[in-house]
Amino acid sequence: MDIMEDFKQKFIEEADELISNLEASLLILEKKPHEKEHIEKVFRIMHTLKGNGGMFGFNKISEFTHNLESIYDFVRSGEMEINKELLDITLLSVDHLKMLLKNGDNLGSDLQKTHSNFTSKIENIINRKLMGGNDYSIEKQIGYGDNSAGLFSGNAANRKTFYIKFQPNEYIFNNGTNPLFLIDEINTLGTSAAVAHLENIPAAETFDCTKCYTWWEIFVATHEKISTLDDVFIFVEDDSKIKISEIAPSDLFLNHDFKKYIENLQKSGNQFNIEFLKKLPGIGDKIKPVAEETPEQPEMTAQLPVVGKVKAEAVISSIRVSSGKVDLLMNLVSEMVTLQARLNLYTESHHDPELLSIAESVQKLSRQLRDNAFSISLIPIGSILTRFQRLVRDLSGDLGKKINFIIKGEETELDKTIIENLSDPLMHILRNSLDHGIETPEVRLKNGKTEEGNIYLKAFYSGSNVHIEVKDDGAGFDPEKILQKARLKGLVSEQAILDKSQIFDLVFTPGFSTADAVSDISGRGVGMDVVNRKISEIRGEVVLDSEKGKGTTVTIILPLTLSIIDGMQVNIGRAAYIIPLYAVHKIYSVSHLVIQNAFDNIIALEGEQLPFFSLREQFGVDGDPPEREEIVVVKYENRKVGLVIDKVLGEYQTVLKPLGKHYKSQEFISGGTILGDGTVALVLDTNKIISKFSNNTQIMEESR
Amino acid sequence: MSKTVLVVDDSPSIREAVGYTLQTEGYQVIKAESGKDALENIDGKQVDLVITDLHMPAMNGIELTKEIRKLNDFSRVPILLLTTESQVSKKLEAKLAGATGWIIKPFVAEKLISVVKRVLR
Repeated sequence: MDIMEDFKQKFIEEADELISNLEASLLILEKKPHEKEHIEKVFRIMHTLKGNGGMFGFNKISEFTHNLESIYDFVRSGEMEINKELLDITLLSVDHLKMLLKNGDNLGSDLQKTHSNFTSKIENIINRKLMGGNDYSIEKQIGYGDNSAGLFSGNAANRKTFYIKFQPNEYIFNNGTNPLFLIDEINTLGTSAAVAHLENIPAAETFDCTKCYTWWEIFVATHEKISTLDDVFIFVEDDSKIKISEIAPSDLFLNHDFKKYIENLQKSGNQFNIEFLKKLPGIGDKIKPVAEETPEQPEMTAQLPVVGKVKAEAVISSIRVSSGKVDLLMNLVSEMVTLQARLNLYTESHHDPELLSIAESVQKLSRQLRDNAFSISLIPIGSILTRFQRLVRDLSGDLGKKINFIIKGEETELDKTIIENLSDPLMHILRNSLDHGIETPEVRLKNGKTEEGNIYLKAFYSGSNVHIEVKDDGAGFDPEKILQKARLKGLVSEQAILDKSQIFDLVFTPGFSTADAVSDISGRGVGMDVVNRKISEIRGEVVLDSEKGKGTTVTIILPLTLSIIDGMQVNIGRAAYIIPLYAVHKIYSVSHLVIQNAFDNIIALEGEQLPFFSLREQFGVDGDPPEREEIVVVKYENRKVGLVIDKVLGEYQTVLKPLGKHYKSQEFISGGTILGDGTVALVLDTNKIISKFSNNTQIMEESR
Repeated sequence: MSKTVLVVDDSPSIREAVGYTLQTEGYQVIKAESGKDALENIDGKQVDLVITDLHMPAMNGIELTKEIRKLNDFSRVPILLLTTESQVSKKLEAKLAGATGWIIKPFVAEKLISVVKRVLR
């Protein structure tokens, strides 16, 4: 049964996705309750969950979504309006569905209680609409009598017993219908028994196996209406004789004698005789007279399809691949890139035109392969944004604030590892905005703002980075207040002069919180520094900008991918280092003497005062520097720092490998890489270098 | 020769489960994730039975049935719809479109096999 477990797992993944889509659609409906497309979507998701849930043993999900499906069917047809109550309960049921999906059908007593409560709440809504019980019609039954303890067992009193005479057209097989299939379907409606009549089957020599000679008498006890039974035969009613009549207003299958009688008919092939039935003790008084033969239905002519082929367009727009496979592909591509670099190196030292052209082709191909493999592991950021919609909705309700949450750039794609690690920090930022940023409606009105606060979440590409911006039009930060507090906490010295962006950087310092009161939602002072740490773990940066009274913008800047970067290879002594290319601003060649004589590590280059430091000194490299050294100016935002190295070797694609936990404490290295010739080069973490050296305010001040 | 069944469902789990069930019974199975996909897949192939989900985005099971019936080679192939509902209007619509019958979800493997066997007999 392992394979079935597999399918079940598949269903869980699928359902998970459906449930998040459901949530997204509901949140849209909350704003635009008449958005037809999303009403349809909600309905279809409920429908799929109901149908497929049952298939994989999630009967609770199936039952639970049944009523919701009906409700949204009414909404769909315009018989019901979407209102807050309905949306609230449906959104709550999103959580409930997640829980059911996690726990399956075996709920503990507590969960079971919640489940029952919830189910009855939803039933109430639908019952108000229907003013009667629901018509649950899924039933699985194979035999009769012994199997009647299904869904209907409690309702036996409401059952009626019907008699069906079904004489199919001889040619019924020709249109692909199988009469037994219909009898099966009747069986699903309640307790039933069929008597097959074979007397029309001719002797073997005239027997035509394409014809149907058999006819049936079927007895069924069900609380379905007679029209439901009619419907079963809808596909064959045109050309077959069907007579359906109620023979008793109760379930005759509960009567032993009736069952005996049917069994007799099944054995003997005799026709059913209602007069005989009337004479049976305990039954006779219940029997209704069998109605007259129902008049033949007018023939329904199906429109004959036009002959001709419809050429289908290409349709498979996406496939599902396990993330393990993608990771493997990425690893292989990384190895390939490394190997390709080695080939290049080899080619350069062997002047062979043939080899050169091969190497160039390989380089081109491996680049394309790399880019392609990358794009596979990229997923749209929209996949995590829905839950924020929900968060904002719930929190703003709790806080009594009115918030207009606008998401832009959901389609922006990022490496999946980054996306996975982004959710928590973003959550923190949003909570901060909601809790401290946006003011209460009263305060907003008093300050001449709209009652409704706005939070924008925007994702967009910028060079080889992705920016995610959370912007609110709330109270904003007061730089003075931050500075005061930082001084109070001893985070900055009293003398230090900081510019605005440096002050805002303080917010990311561990243990800093400006909130006057710690609230439930945020403001414990762990928020922003945790955000900062988490984001830098995925090689990203967080920048805060704010204007008092106008609002705050928190921008997360992330690399597109984590594993391969374009780098510049430089040498210091005999060791090779890689500087990420995105950070490189300019390269200058400077005499060693100039550097040696520079005062306080400031050098004037093209009329600009630039702080610099020698990596040779920093890393304690032995030996003398060359006569002419090179300064690589790395830039991050508006800060620049010059790195003095021996020689720039050139551009190099780098597969970034983590250094491992033993080297976590080092400051300037973000990872290692293997060069084409097999030696190891360390990759410089320019962002850290910049913040370390430009945070030295003295340098900053003098460099201006 | 084993018979070929085309299974159309946008939900991978159902599609795979139905496909697997039929394969274990010795049927050849062609799987399609949408109506369009199905139409493209059966082009020039011998298909003995079509099992399609009723509710699918873009092209639903009934629309697919209509399209299949338009194809010369498929005008008489039995078509079964997988559905959870037993609404009259839907049934009628399906019938007019040319469907042979349906299987109500949820169903167990045995039921699916027995229905398929009977239809294909």
